[in-house]
Amino acid sequence: MKTGNEQRDTLAAPAGRRDWLAGGWALFWENPIGKIGLILMACFALMAAASFVPPLLDPMYHPMHGVDPEISHATGPSAAHWLGTDFIGRDILSQLLAGARIAFMVGLSAAFMSIFFGTLIGMISGYAGRFVDTLLMRIADMVMVMPTLLVVLILSSLFGQLRIWTIVLLIALFRWPGVSRVIRAQTLTLKHRPFIEAARVTGASHLRIIFRHIFPNVLPLALLYMTFRVTSAIIIEAALAFLGFGDPGTVSWGMMLQWVWKTGHMFQAPYWLLPPGICISLLTLSFYMLGRAMEEVLDPRLRKEGESE
Amino acid sequence: MKDRPNTETPILQVSGLKKYFPVRRGFFQRISGWIHAVDGVDLSVPPGETLGLVGESGCGKSTVARTVLRLLDPEAGSIRFDGEEISDLTEAELKPVRRKMQIVFQDPYGSLNPRMTVGQSIAEGLRAFGIRSAAKRQSRTAELLEMVGLSADSAERFPHEFSGGQRQRVGIARALSVEPELVICDEPISALDVSIQAQIINLLKDLQERLGLSYLFISHDLNVVGYLCDRVAVMYAGKIMEEAPAMALFEDPRHPYTRKLLSAIPEPDPSRKSRAAEALQGEPEAEPRPEAAPEGCPFLSACEDRDASCEHLEDALYPVAEGHLVRCPKASGKVDSA
Repeated sequence: MKTGNEQRDTLAAPAGRRDWLAGGWALFWENPIGKIGLILMACFALMAAASFVPPLLDPMYHPMHGVDPEISHATGPSAAHWLGTDFIGRDILSQLLAGARIAFMVGLSAAFMSIFFGTLIGMISGYAGRFVDTLLMRIADMVMVMPTLLVVLILSSLFGQLRIWTIVLLIALFRWPGVSRVIRAQTLTLKHRPFIEAARVTGASHLRIIFRHIFPNVLPLALLYMTFRVTSAIIIEAALAFLGFGDPGTVSWGMMLQWVWKTGHMFQAPYWLLPPGICISLLTLSFYMLGRAMEEVLDPRLRKEGESE
Repeated sequence: MKDRPNTETPILQVSGLKKYFPVRRGFFQRISGWIHAVDGVDLSVPPGETLGLVGESGCGKSTVARTVLRLLDPEAGSIRFDGEEISDLTEAELKPVRRKMQIVFQDPYGSLNPRMTVGQSIAEGLRAFGIRSAAKRQSRTAELLEMVGLSADSAERFPHEFSGGQRQRVGIARALSVEPELVICDEPISALDVSIQAQIINLLKDLQERLGLSYLFISHDLNVVGYLCDRVAVMYAGKIMEEAPAMALFEDPRHPYTRKLLSAIPEPDPSRKSRAAEALQGEPEAEPRPEAAPEGCPFLSACEDRDASCEHLEDALYPVAEGHLVRCPKASGKVDSA
């Protein structure tokens, strides 16, 4: 989309694709929202990477099974446990680090899957048109109006505890319609552009047109939506876990909040309650900021303003 | 380039071509009428020749192009390519036919994929043409680029690095990649600067001589059409108004609409008063209304020469001279004083 609209000026100095990417990156970095978002995300990525360290130092720092033999109740920050321990003496900091890893895993994989389904269905729907379009979009409408959290809650009460990957898959399965709507609209505008017709005339197959011509042109938009989907996936997983429907075998921030709540430490142990809560907020915020900054880079009108400076 | 068994067979023969678009209205999007975008068009392009198709915007020129290429399905009529009927072929059957007729688009910005290098865009045609080896595709791409006057290293670059004229050259190179016999040029120069227009026109002419191409050249610029085309068809509201050899059309225009179009050609010499200044003054401009598709003469409401008898005339093409047809019985008769 954007490259088609930018630089209509025939006198513009030739600029390579690399220059264009560099220009986009400069614009992104110029944006304080993008900068803050990226730095925040880098911090969390560091946390997720660091989550492998504490269990190696001492088995008592294992986020799930490691228990400090001298502590059997929730304690505040100390030299051995920088953020304190939970009700059975597990280290909160190592839980928090492990939670970052889970949040990234859940967020990125659920978002990737929903973008994958959404983009594929959107492109097929927009390109095929007619009957296929109507059918796919009606299905999308039906899925879109289902409240994801409620449906997953019902499913987990029907089938018992859900594994973390099942939760990820369910989130993806319920979050594709919004993406497919946007991608379909974009495909519709692309479909009648002359280069698609030219490809058809030179004998390119439908599959080739979809994947070689349409897909690269909707990809930036799909990536943009992916950042927003990460946000919603992390929140849904946290909410599920907090309500007690999470995977009991994983330490996610939602699980930590659930333990705080269940053991009645909600108002007794702020050192236990606050870290996961703040982390959920900040991580989702960082993805959201990243998306907003990307949006500005990808929007040709906003981009033009940025370049004229 | 290629020797054909019978040079008398037109490379493209269109007869009675009709393409209607539905007009949808209301909540349920019911079809409330049809726009007769192309309403019974007959065209014929002899091999190695250029047929010009002129008319104002919205008269159905581009729809003819898209329907001939079967990017749109015709409502009725026959499209014969090299003697083969193609109006009812399936998508798969069309493939070998399509690569013998290519299109060059009006908009040089929209006609290239912004995310593919120029070389990739051209090589796509080569792949479809059956050149499997990447090295061969690369050398052929370079060859094609040089053929249209671009350097071979342009292949590595992206469309936004080129000017409009250069992009149009790339569009021509892509069209030539499958070695077509007929190239449909859908207003290939109207989006370009005047200085660049001439270059592209000369390129097209040069390629025609070298490769023996046939052109269906769609334009609203009569000067260009007169320079490039052997025959010219004038289209109005989905119908052919007049068809004649280019010389005859310019020297002896018969149809009132053709005369009006010719009078609108700007006169480059300012000391001479252009005919347009007179012809277009205070003129009640009637929009062509293909939606209504009235019986009888389609130009009636906008015609300056109309009189009471026009209402009853049959809507058909009348012969004027050898190869000169006009959709007006009165204009076909005696030489009218224009």
